[in-house]
Amino acid sequence: MADDTPALAVQGLTKRHGSGAGAVDALVGIDLAFARGTFTAVMGPSGSGKSTFLACVAGLERPTSGQVLIEGTDVTHWTEARRTRMRRDRIGFVFQDFSLIPYLTAAENVALPARLSGRRAQPEAIRTALARVGLENRAGHLPGALSGGQQQRVAVARALVTGPTVLLADEPTGALDSATARKVLQLLRAAVDDLGQTTVMVTHDPVAASYADDVVFLVDGRVGGRMAAPSVDAVAAQLAHLDQLTGVAR
Amino acid sequence: MTALALRSLRHRPAAAVATFMAALLGTALMASFATLVESALSAHDDDRELLIIMGGIVGGWAALIVLFSVASTVGIVAGQRTREAGLLRTIGATPRQVRALIVYEAGVVALLAASAGAVVASIGGPALFAALQRGDLITAASEYAGGPASLSTAAGAVVLVGTVAAGIASRRATGGPAAFSPRQAEVSALPLRRWRILVGGLLVAVGLASAVVTVTVTGKAGDAYAAMQTSGSASIVVGVGLATLAPGLLRLLATPLRPLLARSGSGHLAAANTTRRAHLLAGTLAPVIVLVSTAVGTLLMIGIDDRTLTAAGDPEGVGGTITMINSVVIGMICLFAAIMVVNAAVAVVAHRRTELDRLWRLGATAGQLRSSIVLEAAVVAFVGILLGLLGSTATAVPYAIVRQEGVVPDGQLWLPPLIALVAAALTIGAAWGAQRRSAR
Ligand SMILES: Nc1ncnc2c1ncn2[C@@H]1O[C@H](COP(=O)(O)OP(=O)(O)OP(=O)(O)O)[C@@H](O)[C@H]1O
Ligand SMILES: [Mg+2]
Repeated sequence: MADDTPALAVQGLTKRHGSGAGAVDALVGIDLAFARGTFTAVMGPSGSGKSTFLACVAGLERPTSGQVLIEGTDVTHWTEARRTRMRRDRIGFVFQDFSLIPYLTAAENVALPARLSGRRAQPEAIRTALARVGLENRAGHLPGALSGGQQQRVAVARALVTGPTVLLADEPTGALDSATARKVLQLLRAAVDDLGQTTVMVTHDPVAASYADDVVFLVDGRVGGRMAAPSVDAVAAQLAHLDQLTGVAR
Repeated sequence: MTALALRSLRHRPAAAVATFMAALLGTALMASFATLVESALSAHDDDRELLIIMGGIVGGWAALIVLFSVASTVGIVAGQRTREAGLLRTIGATPRQVRALIVYEAGVVALLAASAGAVVASIGGPALFAALQRGDLITAASEYAGGPASLSTAAGAVVLVGTVAAGIASRRATGGPAAFSPRQAEVSALPLRRWRILVGGLLVAVGLASAVVTVTVTGKAGDAYAAMQTSGSASIVVGVGLATLAPGLLRLLATPLRPLLARSGSGHLAAANTTRRAHLLAGTLAPVIVLVSTAVGTLLMIGIDDRTLTAAGDPEGVGGTITMINSVVIGMICLFAAIMVVNAAVAVVAHRRTELDRLWRLGATAGQLRSSIVLEAAVVAFVGILLGLLGSTATAVPYAIVRQEGVVPDGQLWLPPLIALVAAALTIGAAWGAQRRSAR
């Protein structure tokens, strides 16, 4: 495999929810490539298709047409079971609602992907992953006994522990206060810088986006612009502009 | 709150169905027996005793199982409202308002179901009475006299117990913090409440006491049926007592199974669930204990009675009929207990959609989710059968001793494994069916 193959690419990605008169085109022919070791923020007005984009990339939803390529391999038409295994082994996920399993401890949550793959979890790897997010002394706690920020850091540790090809994050700081959010964003940034972790993060927050290398703007299911080396002010200005555009379009 | 309760009911049919089923079938069963007691009041003197025994004593066993099942089901359903309770409180509902909502909802469903159950019993009661008359257990001189008094008493008891149980469970549901989302509020695995340990322990003690009384007092009485009256209830009362302690017992007994399960990914999930979430799964465990304990205990007793009555000198020459009637009546009680096993298993699994979905997003395959649910149900069935068999000895052993068969009955030894098999099949089958609907 050539080294310049993007970690993740989509071609002509289209997703239509429902059919007939009530159909909604959530994504309309998206072409994007995410090079290895890059950190990209996906932004856009509410309903622009950001979550749908991540769901299609992760194999949670099947696109209506177009392709999803993970390290150059087209996974679009894989069976449900095969996409599930792909998700487990090659994609790390961080959700807005943390998505920890409430009856597993922090360490067990981090070990879950390995357990689901039928491997024994490596205690050393689990400890390292928790230490990376600063929670090595919370390993035995159940999620209910952790703060929101701590739970999200456990989720980040779990997403990183398998060394995924791509880390996908859907508004990872959406439920956190700004100080806690900063901590989570620093962790994501560190994973990119130290581990070369390819990361795609959906966010509404210009501050969060400023941690990324690039911003992709989605508008009504289409790519509505890109911005490299985003600053908080530039992103905020662009978002306001897009909101106006869609406001007029409706 | 009323409007909100009714609307929320419409959106949660699965939960309402579980409560409805328990209250409907429970009232039908309980009220049928109650009509016999009401009939006894105006019955011919020769018949009064039998009607009171059948309606009062056997009916009392049924009532115990029914009321426990209703309380247990309502508890499952109300306990599942924790998350929503937290949400309502974040938008300003007081804990009192949330509790009122939960209680009101349970009360409305129980009232509707119990009314329907009373209608069913108004047919079932006369049928039971006619069967007793056909079997010559009561004379033609007596007439069926069940009416609104007995029907509404039984229905009222079901509604009352359902409402009180909802009240207790709602305290737990509103006990958590108001904000739920960041902490994923879930009823945490609190130790058993003291009153619960007390009630459970008391019931077990009462059951054991009737076992002792059977051997030492009633077994030596002249009346061949005196021993049956004290003995029959023992396994039921012990079973209900153990079921009251179900969350603690599940945690305790499932823990040694962990290493066995933890070999596969799905087993690992099942192991964590059965121990750390015993308070949720106990909802399925309780009816399994009651079913096995009741069915094995009382059916063995009927078998022993049938084998030894002639030797015991069948005083009135009606042994065969009594065995038949007993089998039918106990069969109905066991059938109710069996339906409650399915009812509870479905209610518990149906609520886990969000969690299964979350696991699926993280890469658990459909097969892994399925086997983790099935393994969990298997652990619950195993523990329930173990405890149920234990409870059944409270009836079977004393009665075997009294009827000179020794500690172990002389026949029907196929019965315990058969009931165990049925209980396991029901528990696992119901969980399997329910996960098919709640997984994608
Ligand atoms: N299951 C579904 N059925 C029908 N329409 C859907 C479904 N899921 C999403 N949509 C529609 O698709 C469009 C894109 O939704 P999506 O959730 O991807 O938006 P988003 O950009 O993530 O919005 P937000 O910022 O509010 O999270 C919306 O118009 C939404 O209503
Ligand atoms: Mg979204």
